[in-house]
Amino acid sequence: MGKKIPLPMMILAILGFCYMLLPIVIVVLAGLTAGEFLTFPPKGLSFRWVIAFLQSEKYLSSFFFSFKLALMTMVISTILGTAVALFLSRAQFVGRGAMRAFFLSPVVLPGVVIGFALYAFFISTGMGISRTIWGLSIGHILYSTPYVIGTVGAALASYNVSLEEAARSLGASPLRAFRKVTLPNIAQGIQAGSIFAFIVSFGQFEVSLFLSAPNSEPLPIAMYNSLRYKFDPSAAAAGIFAITLVIASVLLTNRLVNIRRLLEKQ
Amino acid sequence: MTEASAQVGFHQPGSYQRHMKWLLVVPLVIFWVIFFVIPVGLMFATSFNSQIIGQVAVTSDLTLDNYIRFFSRSNYLLAAWRSVLLAIVVSVITLIVAYPMAYLIAKTENQARNTFLLILVLSAMQLDMVIRLYGMMVILGDNGLINQMLAGLGLIKVDEPIQFMYNFLGVVLGLVQFALPFMILTLMGVIAGIDPSLEEAARSLGASRRRAFLRVTLPASMPGILSGSLLVFALSISSYIVPALMGGFRVGVLPIHIFQQVAEGARFQFGATISVILFILSAAAVATYLRVGSSKSGGLA
Repeated sequence: MGKKIPLPMMILAILGFCYMLLPIVIVVLAGLTAGEFLTFPPKGLSFRWVIAFLQSEKYLSSFFFSFKLALMTMVISTILGTAVALFLSRAQFVGRGAMRAFFLSPVVLPGVVIGFALYAFFISTGMGISRTIWGLSIGHILYSTPYVIGTVGAALASYNVSLEEAARSLGASPLRAFRKVTLPNIAQGIQAGSIFAFIVSFGQFEVSLFLSAPNSEPLPIAMYNSLRYKFDPSAAAAGIFAITLVIASVLLTNRLVNIRRLLEKQ
Repeated sequence: MTEASAQVGFHQPGSYQRHMKWLLVVPLVIFWVIFFVIPVGLMFATSFNSQIIGQVAVTSDLTLDNYIRFFSRSNYLLAAWRSVLLAIVVSVITLIVAYPMAYLIAKTENQARNTFLLILVLSAMQLDMVIRLYGMMVILGDNGLINQMLAGLGLIKVDEPIQFMYNFLGVVLGLVQFALPFMILTLMGVIAGIDPSLEEAARSLGASRRRAFLRVTLPASMPGILSGSLLVFALSISSYIVPALMGGFRVGVLPIHIFQQVAEGARFQFGATISVILFILSAAAVATYLRVGSSKSGGLA
């Protein structure tokens, strides 16, 4: 490895990784500090802020609110996204690429704008779901479904459709052939996609901004509101739980699908 | 196979299945139309209504007043310009920081090590931005770790900290943190796809290592560089949370103005106008991105 990568490139890469990861390490330290505020050098470690987080009405309820919201979002976007990934992998028609781009597009569009558009839409149509968990979930589904489509799509790309065709030619009904042959082959891709959907929703901030109500806020919004005024180490302690959740999900994803292949070939 | 499908299949092979296939896509199409196309369409329509505070629904009274207001007030034009400038600066810096990282990942052949690096990138990408910004603020704030260290070393006075935050610089630093994983994932695929024998050939013809890199590897990674930069442009021009926390509302970019117009002033029509302008800026970058090389770059986004 050392032979192939020039030393200056190596040093720059390591510095880059430090820049990317240092803030995350700092949050962990800030949540575990013994002092009122993370200082340099640190004052020592303690669990006082973790305990404060576990006892705080505000962060704990936001944490569980986000968890519930992410689960709802995950279930819906996994079902809708998997169906579309199946469709896109089988259908051949003009405009297939455009359709895929249409489904993936929310991810790169401004969350504040989409959140605002939905907020105004909910109010003006009188649907009664503005500032509810359902309204929030609808916004989140727009951002998490594309990840399901991408991940399941990648699993389908490496799956041989002729297996299902073989089952059908042996007399299996379409549904049965799908359930018994295709589904087991892409199950791990679907699981990985649903984990992505969960995490994207759990960390979503921009779309939630217009759609959340003051009494039931997702964790990122609650943390943002407190961070505007002061550094609350119990927010960092909440962050530790979120960091653990994300790392665990990425590790789990890696067990389910080869993330190298997922990321390199799309 | 049921009799009905067998019969249809007999007349037109596969047509029964072909129609069934479309059922898979219908639910999401309906969802996207109702909750994405229509709301965005209504937002576009709202931007052509006259500004009435508190009025949300679209009316038939069409006017260009909001756009005239946007383009004739220097603070909004300045905000648009600042947003674009910020996104360009962030794209360039992110590219410089991300390239060596992507190169390292692409050239790491040891599978376990390669996977480990990817897990780091993916975890950083998936982690809630508010948490990452909390860390950035602890490091860069007026009382932050860097200023504490500098003061401890006697390089600055405690009451005269270096301002890393609440200015343009702070927003740039935060957005680079936000955009890095996306850029790495885009570049990585392209760099991994470059035939190593190209660089070897250049080297065997007498080119120095640096020259071989500059003349062969770098130009060959151009598609990734271009699409990565466009992606980062679209992502950073859209960010609300980074300018809000790292800029402390002192760096007025378009997303901040949208929130202020709507949430604080209940000016839905003018908020919609700024939204439309931001939407178009970011969609233009995305459309170019898709043209440039969706086939050549990797990444989930």
